[in-house]
Amino acid sequence: MSLNKIEAARGWRVRSTQDLAAGLFMIALAGLALFLSRDLATGTLRQIGPGMLPKAFAWICAGLGALLAVNSLRYNGEKLSGWSWRGVLFVLGAAVVFGLTIRGFEIGPLKVPQLGMLVSGPLVVLISGLAAEDVRLKELVIFAIAMTTGCALLFKYALGLPIPLAPWLLGI
Amino acid sequence: MTEMFANLSLGFGVALTLKNIALCFTGCLVGTLIGVLPGVGPIATIAMLLPITFGLDPVGALIMLAGIYYGAQYGGSTTAILVNIPGEATAVVTTLDGHQMAKQGRAGVALGTAAIGSFVAGCFATLIIAALGAPLTKLALLFGPAEYFSLMVMGLCFAVVLARGSILKAFCMIMLGLLLSTVGTDLETGQERMTFGFPPLSDGIDFAVLAMGVFGFAEVLRNLENPETRDVVRTKIGRLLPSWEDIKQSIAPCLRGTFIGGTLGILPGNGAVLGPFASYTIEKKLAKDPSRFGRGAIEGVAGPESANNAGAQTAFIPLLTLGIPPNAVMALMVGAMTIHGIIPGPQVMTKNPDLFWGMIASMWIGNLMLLIINLPLVGVWVKLLQVPYRLMFPAILIFCSIGIYSVNNQPVDVAFTALFGLFGYLLIKLGFEPAPMLLGFVLGKLMEEKLRQALIISRGSFMTFIERPISAGLLLVAVAILVIALLPSMSKKRDEVFTE
Repeated sequence: MSLNKIEAARGWRVRSTQDLAAGLFMIALAGLALFLSRDLATGTLRQIGPGMLPKAFAWICAGLGALLAVNSLRYNGEKLSGWSWRGVLFVLGAAVVFGLTIRGFEIGPLKVPQLGMLVSGPLVVLISGLAAEDVRLKELVIFAIAMTTGCALLFKYALGLPIPLAPWLLGI
Repeated sequence: MTEMFANLSLGFGVALTLKNIALCFTGCLVGTLIGVLPGVGPIATIAMLLPITFGLDPVGALIMLAGIYYGAQYGGSTTAILVNIPGEATAVVTTLDGHQMAKQGRAGVALGTAAIGSFVAGCFATLIIAALGAPLTKLALLFGPAEYFSLMVMGLCFAVVLARGSILKAFCMIMLGLLLSTVGTDLETGQERMTFGFPPLSDGIDFAVLAMGVFGFAEVLRNLENPETRDVVRTKIGRLLPSWEDIKQSIAPCLRGTFIGGTLGILPGNGAVLGPFASYTIEKKLAKDPSRFGRGAIEGVAGPESANNAGAQTAFIPLLTLGIPPNAVMALMVGAMTIHGIIPGPQVMTKNPDLFWGMIASMWIGNLMLLIINLPLVGVWVKLLQVPYRLMFPAILIFCSIGIYSVNNQPVDVAFTALFGLFGYLLIKLGFEPAPMLLGFVLGKLMEEKLRQALIISRGSFMTFIERPISAGLLLVAVAILVIALLPSMSKKRDEVFTE
């Protein structure tokens, strides 16, 4: 709620923490992009180099971010609201666990074998299910088993996608 | 005219094989099944279901995708009417009167009207696409890189103006999308750009990964945060077929809606999103007794739903003729088409006429399927809607994970999607609307390519964009709409349209 609002405001103070944060966020992203593309040649208009557009876009992003931040001092707007760490942790964590276990991975000393969907599937459902405030464990376990079976039948057999089921147990 | 019908009959010849009808049917069915889930809009639905088309031949895959698309659209309306939760922006209007009708025990009639209105709109829109397809493709052949670039600039300006909420924030999202599109290997020099030296990023950010993160995962996070206020209709669904009285009331709104939605849908830059709002406003203005609106007026369902479907369908026109996706859903279609080795654009029609016309014919068949499968299955959707969210989102998550993994068979993609989920959640928290970002992201690569080509041809002179008449005209339109949208009196109206 920035450019459109033409309520004249007197004095400068933070009137919208959300817009201020949004502006700073844009500037930070632009800064990161400028840092990452610092070694890319800009080139000339006649022969545009790989760095020209990323840098140009980043500068525009930074400019828009600055405008947002300044506007947040002049026009009233939304406040920043709280985060739900529980959701972020369990929901996104579940997806990461799926990615790590479906075909296994090796990071330094940590080694996880290729576990396949029969393990990764229930893990996703169980971990993400914990994000709900009204979680019921028994129901969730049954649901995890049912969902995995359904998905295995659907994706592996009905659609024939090359997704490993349980290589360590079934060899597929 | 005769050419158009010859083309359509070729299309129906392709689409009406038993296999393709079955694919269209399955697509509509699963599309509706996923689209009905509250908080899952068409973008997330299509991203989730992309992998199921991988094993098919290109024609079959596209027909199925079109089915999924219509199913997802219709599923959104079902949720809007029965639960008062719009799956996406365009279904917001349907919640106003549709849900009221449902509360009065006329849920069946609302659903029936929505389905019939969509079908009528779909029939007309199919004809529009068939009629405009060939001439626009010829027009596209006149387009050089400069014109393409200007057209995309215009599309992005439209997207800024038509986005919900603050114009400045929509601008930020477009630019962020453009910036994200430059990640990956540079096409001309082969240099890696902003990849952190991380090999999976050298191909750039995968569109499905970005879309699923921002529209699938982030949406789950958003829904988890707001305590569930799902207001599933407890009263009887009632009869599905509208009475003669209802039909008489809704036929004119339906035709007007089709016209409005169909026209707006052709605009690049997500014009389709405006259709239902415009239709609702017009119906309210035309009604003898405007106070009925918001209290279960059948015109308030028939008009916007027709506009929605007509727009959803004519949105294919810029994609199929010019190769430019007008909105995020069409952008996903580009992704799907490229996976099957088809690059959307004017050459599709000349090189693969059976594919082009087959898909157009299948759009009509898809609309018919929706009518046939949805009305009898309403009871199933209601049951599905009563599943508590604590079980629904783990199911969404496992589908998303398997779906994303299957796009490239890359486990790291799932982790990336989670990262973009976090990114999307951050954007929501900061009050950004992510849809324009996706459009910027999709057009970014193409824009860069065309810009470079245009500047090489013009030997580095920016004047080429103004000297060429078509390009200059497109840029002029872009500037004009931006100026109009920023005028104080207009920006107030714009706020009104979107808050109504």
